Amino acid sequence: MELMTAVAVIMVKVVLITVILFIVPVPLTWLERKIAGHIQQRMGPMRVGWHGLLQPLADGLKLLTKEDNIPDQSDRVLFKIAPFVALVPPFMVFVAVPFGDSVSILGYETKPYLSDMNVGLLYILAVAGLEIYGVIFGGWASNSKYALLGSLRTCAQLISYEVPMGFAVIGVIMLSQSMNLSDIVDAQEPLWFIVYQPLGFFIFFIAGLAEAQRIPFDLAEAEGDLGAGYHTEYSGMRFSFFMISEYLVMLTISVLCVLLFFGGWHGVLIPLPAPIWFALKVGFFIYLFMWFRFTFPRYRYDQLMSIGWKVLVPLSILNILITGIFVY
Amino acid sequence: MYNENALNKISRDHRWIGVTFFLDLINGLSLTFKYMFSRSVTMQYPDREKWVPYPRHRGHHVLRRDENGENKCVACELCAKICPCNCITVVPYEDENGKRRPLVYDVDMARCLYCGLCEDSCPEEAIALGSVFEYSSYTSEELVVGRDSLLEMDGKTEQPGSVVKARYLPSAQSTVEAQESSGYDWWRFIHRKD
Repeated sequence: MELMTAVAVIMVKVVLITVILFIVPVPLTWLERKIAGHIQQRMGPMRVGWHGLLQPLADGLKLLTKEDNIPDQSDRVLFKIAPFVALVPPFMVFVAVPFGDSVSILGYETKPYLSDMNVGLLYILAVAGLEIYGVIFGGWASNSKYALLGSLRTCAQLISYEVPMGFAVIGVIMLSQSMNLSDIVDAQEPLWFIVYQPLGFFIFFIAGLAEAQRIPFDLAEAEGDLGAGYHTEYSGMRFSFFMISEYLVMLTISVLCVLLFFGGWHGVLIPLPAPIWFALKVGFFIYLFMWFRFTFPRYRYDQLMSIGWKVLVPLSILNILITGIFVY
Repeated sequence: MYNENALNKISRDHRWIGVTFFLDLINGLSLTFKYMFSRSVTMQYPDREKWVPYPRHRGHHVLRRDENGENKCVACELCAKICPCNCITVVPYEDENGKRRPLVYDVDMARCLYCGLCEDSCPEEAIALGSVFEYSSYTSEELVVGRDSLLEMDGKTEQPGSVVKARYLPSAQSTVEAQESSGYDWWRFIHRKD
């Protein structure tokens, strides 16, 4: 009976998180277009629903009914599975992400996350790195110069920015003495880690921008020179899988920023329920991503590489050194 | 001149301070943030708003009436003579009062270049270019407008150009009906650098 309940609870959580993650990109696309519009003194979508709120549904419907075009000379098998390979890792990341303290529903004590693993952070970094396979497969299988160049760039970018990202996280691990994410959040109850780790946060955030392939590091899909990058040849549902995975990576980075540096679900001053605090902080980071996108130009490829290897990696090593001196 | 160069040199030497703290990036972010919360300049044209042109706007031709409600035009054909693209056809006749009036007054809107020379040349101030600008059509034959419909066209606007609330009527030949006589000045929300 115990086992049955535990399995049932886990099933419910899995379904809930999956559904939420599938739904979240829908309002995000609307939000992005609205922010883009207002920054450029336009209005963004206005015609479908109240202030265009139903626009993502219309877009989704359109994408569903589009032809699923597969290029003639492409590697058909790889081409078909690439969007799924890109889509699964962002979902897997959320296995280890805690959303709040333990809550009791109908007298049953449960925690709002799937797995409380003690190497949560390591798991997240490792699984998030898998997303690159979808990009490589998509770019290679399309048999198109734009897709190939885009996926090559993405590949180099993701690999080089994973290094400073991992190093930036080490400072947090040293402070909290744990890789368990809920332990890390609990360690921030007196003071958020952004106070101890401003440099670490800075490196993590910039590397996160690059990981999510957002401006100013969106060389993978530089519209001006590459069409749409690795998903140039995709259409219909498969294209929308790539888009969902991109928005989920952005969500992952925002969630990680909040968990590692901004005290997770712990609030300050105003006593709000934990999930609301968490959502507010994550929303702020998502807004930051979109705000950056419509403010900055794109870095050149060599600039991207030199920022990654010549600035962020030394800085992150310096950050580890400083943190080490202060911890001991 | 010398001072200016020295200043430039100082600012050049200390540029690294700004670069280190991303001053230019923060500058850009604050600018876009300001724009984000400023009013958008979009005119929601067919759905909710409509542009009422300036009095000088040269739109659809219109034939004016005098105080008795009679056509002012005396069919002198000066407009047809001066028209650079020969889009005006006038055929005169004598009416029951013995006055010279146009029997036919056709304007080919597709050929017209809206120069306004017909308006300038008219001795009776009968022909004018009005404020109507929604008269697109699928055939060029429909764009040849006759005397009677020219008499019913809206004339020039009194108010300066503004954006008014409007309603889109897809049934009534896809026209946009203005609901107010005056609205807000659209140019007010344009950001200009001084």
